[in-house]
Amino acid sequence: MMRTQRPGRVELLTAIGLVLVPLILPYLGSAPNTVNRILVWGLFGIGFDILFGYTGLLSFGQSALYGTGGFVAAYLLTRAGFPYVWLALIIGMVAAAVVGYLVGLIALRRTGIYFAMITVAIAEVFYFVEFNPLSEWTGGENGLPGVPTPSLYLGFTTIHFTSGWSLYPFLAACYFIGIVVALRIVRSPVGAIFRAIRENPLRAAAVGHNIHAYKLAAFVIAAAYAGLAGGLLGVLQAFMPPEAFTFDTSGQLVIQTAIGGRGTLFGPLLGAAVWLFLQDFLQATLGLGAAWKLVLGLVFVLLVVFLRHGIIGGFVDLYRFVKRRKAPVEPREAAPSPGVADEQAAHAVAAKTAHAQPARRLHHAASDYTGPILQATGLTKHYGGVIANADIDFTVNAGELRGIIGPNGAGKSTFFKMLTCEVPPTSGKIVFEGRDITGMSVTDVCQLGLTKSYQVNQLFNRLTVRENVVIAALAELRGKFKLDMLGSVASIPGLDEQVSSTLALVNLTRRRDTPVSELAYGEKRRLEVGLALASSPALLLLDEPLAGMSPVERGETVKLLKSIAQGRTMIIIDHDMDALFELAERVTVLQEGRVLVEGTPDEIKRNAKVQEAYLGGVHGVIDVDEALA
Amino acid sequence: MISWSNFVSQLFNGLALGALLALISSGLTIIYGTLGVLNLAHGAMFMLGGYAGYVAYEASGSFIVAVIAGTLFLGIVGVLMERVVIRHFYSRPHEDQLLVTFGLAIVYVEGVRFIFSSLSKTVPPPPLFTGITSLGFMVYPTYRLAVVGIVAVALLALFLVLYRTRLGMIVRAGIEDSVMVDSLGINVDRVFMVVFGIGAMAAGFAGIVNAPVVSLTPDVGEAILVQTFVVVVIGGVGSFTGAVLGGLIAGEIISITSMFNPGYAYVMLFAAMTLVLLVRPQGLLGTRGRE
Amino acid sequence: MRDRNSNSNNSGRREFMRTGLAVAGGLALPAGFASRVLAADQPPIGTWPAGSQGDSVFIGIAVPRTGTYAVQGEDELKGYELAVEHINEGHPLIKAISPKTKKGVLGKTVKYGVADSAAKPNDAVQAQQRFITENKAILLTGSTSSAVAVALNKLAQREKVLYVAGISGSNDTTGKDCVRYGFRQNFYGETAANALGPVLLKAFGKNKKAAFMTPDYTYGHTVTKSMNDFLTKNGGWTMVTNQVSPLGAPDYSSYLTNIANSGAEFLINVNWGHDAVLSTQQAKQFGILPKMKLVIPYQIPFLAPEVGPDVTEGVYAATDFWWTLEDKYPLAKMFVEAFQKKYNYRPEWGAENAYMEFALWAEAVEHAGTFYPPDVIKSYESPRKLNSMVGEVEWRAADHQLIRPVIIVRGKKPGDMKNKEDFWEVTEIVPGAGVMQKPDAFGCNLGAYT
Repeated sequence: MMRTQRPGRVELLTAIGLVLVPLILPYLGSAPNTVNRILVWGLFGIGFDILFGYTGLLSFGQSALYGTGGFVAAYLLTRAGFPYVWLALIIGMVAAAVVGYLVGLIALRRTGIYFAMITVAIAEVFYFVEFNPLSEWTGGENGLPGVPTPSLYLGFTTIHFTSGWSLYPFLAACYFIGIVVALRIVRSPVGAIFRAIRENPLRAAAVGHNIHAYKLAAFVIAAAYAGLAGGLLGVLQAFMPPEAFTFDTSGQLVIQTAIGGRGTLFGPLLGAAVWLFLQDFLQATLGLGAAWKLVLGLVFVLLVVFLRHGIIGGFVDLYRFVKRRKAPVEPREAAPSPGVADEQAAHAVAAKTAHAQPARRLHHAASDYTGPILQATGLTKHYGGVIANADIDFTVNAGELRGIIGPNGAGKSTFFKMLTCEVPPTSGKIVFEGRDITGMSVTDVCQLGLTKSYQVNQLFNRLTVRENVVIAALAELRGKFKLDMLGSVASIPGLDEQVSSTLALVNLTRRRDTPVSELAYGEKRRLEVGLALASSPALLLLDEPLAGMSPVERGETVKLLKSIAQGRTMIIIDHDMDALFELAERVTVLQEGRVLVEGTPDEIKRNAKVQEAYLGGVHGVIDVDEALA
Repeated sequence: MISWSNFVSQLFNGLALGALLALISSGLTIIYGTLGVLNLAHGAMFMLGGYAGYVAYEASGSFIVAVIAGTLFLGIVGVLMERVVIRHFYSRPHEDQLLVTFGLAIVYVEGVRFIFSSLSKTVPPPPLFTGITSLGFMVYPTYRLAVVGIVAVALLALFLVLYRTRLGMIVRAGIEDSVMVDSLGINVDRVFMVVFGIGAMAAGFAGIVNAPVVSLTPDVGEAILVQTFVVVVIGGVGSFTGAVLGGLIAGEIISITSMFNPGYAYVMLFAAMTLVLLVRPQGLLGTRGRE
Repeated sequence: MRDRNSNSNNSGRREFMRTGLAVAGGLALPAGFASRVLAADQPPIGTWPAGSQGDSVFIGIAVPRTGTYAVQGEDELKGYELAVEHINEGHPLIKAISPKTKKGVLGKTVKYGVADSAAKPNDAVQAQQRFITENKAILLTGSTSSAVAVALNKLAQREKVLYVAGISGSNDTTGKDCVRYGFRQNFYGETAANALGPVLLKAFGKNKKAAFMTPDYTYGHTVTKSMNDFLTKNGGWTMVTNQVSPLGAPDYSSYLTNIANSGAEFLINVNWGHDAVLSTQQAKQFGILPKMKLVIPYQIPFLAPEVGPDVTEGVYAATDFWWTLEDKYPLAKMFVEAFQKKYNYRPEWGAENAYMEFALWAEAVEHAGTFYPPDVIKSYESPRKLNSMVGEVEWRAADHQLIRPVIIVRGKKPGDMKNKEDFWEVTEIVPGAGVMQKPDAFGCNLGAYT
């Protein structure tokens, strides 16, 4: 959702906003303490939004890190008599980040709901530990009172931040720094990969990113923000409460982020403002007494039901709605009419692809290897009692264009999954460019130069076409894990080239700023292939690239495949015999998990066993050409 | 202080608690298994069952009436909730479902507090089960023993519905693959509604049956909710038998740990859950790939 | 006992530094020690003089209206509200306690705001901070949980706004967590133990076995300790088990099973609020009561009606007030009558405690003649006898604890109850001075005045 703004615009607006708040809000009757609290929640939420809104990991355990950072800082400042508030806050933040790393190592071994549940369990355990075994350090149920406020020694004078509006500049400065750093993170390659993980973790891994390491990074970032916010809470209240560790705290954070709008960085701040304002308003102004929580609950439910992307999302939708009524509709790629126009289009595609060679050298596992590029021996896969693949021997030479066909249930897709190491074989060995890749991860294999395009589109749906390709290209250019959080995507050398040439190869240059959800099916399929291409693989597998296409689309795609085959080795599974026989030099036929026969397209056409496999029984040999004439 | 009678007493405690957890968790697990919705309002629904039963008891003086009222009321609440709110969330991301059920939980709890205030309400156990049973070396509240029996009967009834009726078969098929059930021409909408209603009724029944044990306050469902999650994770999502097994295991973990130090009971429970999640994420009796 | 000295030295130093600051609204001040001169010449401190410049003053009240102590919180609130009403109209009861009161406090109307603390320190602190900055509260009050009282003590000291405790039974509130700006009128763990202990020994004898049930926070731990210390030292009693449970535990079966098998003869239940109700009810279900004798060292308002008089029959408890004292003390009679007229039931001790805190504060302010906090504090600290609903009382300057009697009650047989609120019979009124610890015994170190 974060488009590349003119650099610095968001930061500037934030700074202006923060400066204006103490000048405007008192006239609206806002209490400075409420505003300060909103800032602390907002800061807490920035990290959480990076974890949840950007990376898609819903954690109910942030309170554990919030409390850890807060209590470490508070302990240093109270019991240990540490004099420097700033330094204590930073130490608290670092402590929380370290604890977050350890917690993440455990929690991130699972995904989705299970991940959420582990975070709940961890939050509860931390609360308990704070209360009991560690109560000597944490003050148990009393918390740690007497946390001092910070001071700034400027040599010629000292500024003391005390409470109320006096403390506001300090908190605002912390929030501003937090936002600036967060903006850099989400605009960096790491931020782009976070979004990819949220959209489609499977594909993000398959294009060569070590998603576990990135998730852990996101978790640690969220922990650091939480820890700093916790420390600030202690300063704000002059008291570090044990409530910081409760599940309620985590829950409130999630609610506020959802209300404000996830994936926006400012959502948690807005959500906190709404939530705290409503709390005060309902209790004090309306004098609702004990019924205030009921009204708050109802309001919350309504917000969740009607504003899918929170309040900020509501505004964005409104803005887009208004903009769309004014601007003319962007023309869709017209379905080309058959006949002359078809020819012209095909020529255009051919002309483009002739020029658009892959800008980068292909990835090789071992660039001076001269043997067959891929050699699988005895490849077998059992799923319980079901045998998907049995004892397959399969060899492909460099530069070959191999086809794989077979009736339904032959085990073709499973075979591909084993080759890309998405699924481990029950037995057998895979050697890629002389290197044994059996049992490696799909990410590593992609980095070595072997990747696949999927039968069912695995795209990053809420990103644009260009952003999709960027994700894949980033893996190719940066390796499987690089923590360049403060860099920018634009400054990666060679990225633009790689992306443009890939887009040109699959003829999607004109649609590069369109979100995937708005593409036609054929365009999506082309993007699917484009994602695989962006990794510059030496060996490219294509799982039913022609599935679901109209005849015209099919023709174009065949031409496309021919063009990208230059300098590459490709293996294609498909059911479209005509297309496959036109493309492939050799064809392997699978049936019931085994290799039935292998040969040139002509040989395969006439092979009696193949005909029997497809037709279920034949008397005599069919002359295929005669039959089809 | 590990005496024989203490050990057996705690074992019974665990059985009573575990039976209750089993019932509530089976409701939660079939909802999650079929609809894919993790109902964070489940604990609140447990509480609602208790209060509905209380109102019925005050009006009629009969415990049986209270139990029936509590269960039926939750059936209605469950169906309404699914019809009016939940069904609009099937296509929305998981987090939205969590959020809306979380919000509904707050509404239920605070609504009850508004109507009934925070003063605890008691429902006495039925005359048949009041008092204390002497088991020789120890005594035990009669009603708690009865709870094990009552809940066992309810679980048996639920089992029969799920495994011996056509409706139950459809529900179990829906847990496996609701898309497929839809393609077979069965009205999945209605199945979802029924499943939610059944799950809610299980929680409501547990709520009123448990009322004589703990006394009712609006917050009584909060702790139960977290324990229910743990049970569902340990037993396996979508598995009825898993919920029963998980419930019993959870009950015993809590009570055995309590023998030594009750404070650590819940921590042990969470430790057990984390262990299961890391080692066998589908739970003891669940099927892989339900995340 | 934790060593608090280094911490208060640090806070003293920081107080010292802060004296030279701009406070919200910012008047620059010279650094230095504020000496005691006429209030009018004093630099602003806390919410003074801003909070008392108009014709009304504001009190911030944070009570639990939801959660485990909600019932007691509502009762406490009624006491506060009645007190404010009486202060504003110059009711005779208030005048009996605070003779200089005419109408209001120093002629100013008292206004107040109520927030729900849910017995959570964090929520209480948040609410009171709002009351201070927005409403310029000159007095803070409210607590039903000692954890809240301790947190508000610290807040009061930092913000330089007076705080009078609501219900707070922990020794720490005027012990190791005492502050110059905090005051407490009600009885607490140590006084309860020292008052109740001899009664128990007299009634039941020596060398008995007791099982304790303790809620896991400051109040629970200190009361249990005080009770246990007294009974073991003076009567040879043994604590055979101490079952510590979290606040708001839904089910006590595990703890009660351990107790049932401990061989105890007495169940000393320190749990409070709804926890006391539930644990007592379940103890009955498990046959522990009446096999063991129940003792309640710190009585809970509304316990008797909720568990039923057949359970509280013969139970000894220590409390701050019971309405039958109206027969002995005329001020108690006035209070019970006024309360019953307004709310249709007789007050429990939470309401009485609340009323007394406000009445005594009004007295202290009138006596000081100003709202200037250090002067009001010194007014509290100046030794003089005061009237109360339980006879003559006086403040102890060294730790800001009121020296007042502890009331020992025993549950009546259901058959002996003369009306539906006649649950307890007052058996002893134990004078406060004899049952309190020495002022510095719990490490109380009052902070600075400014």
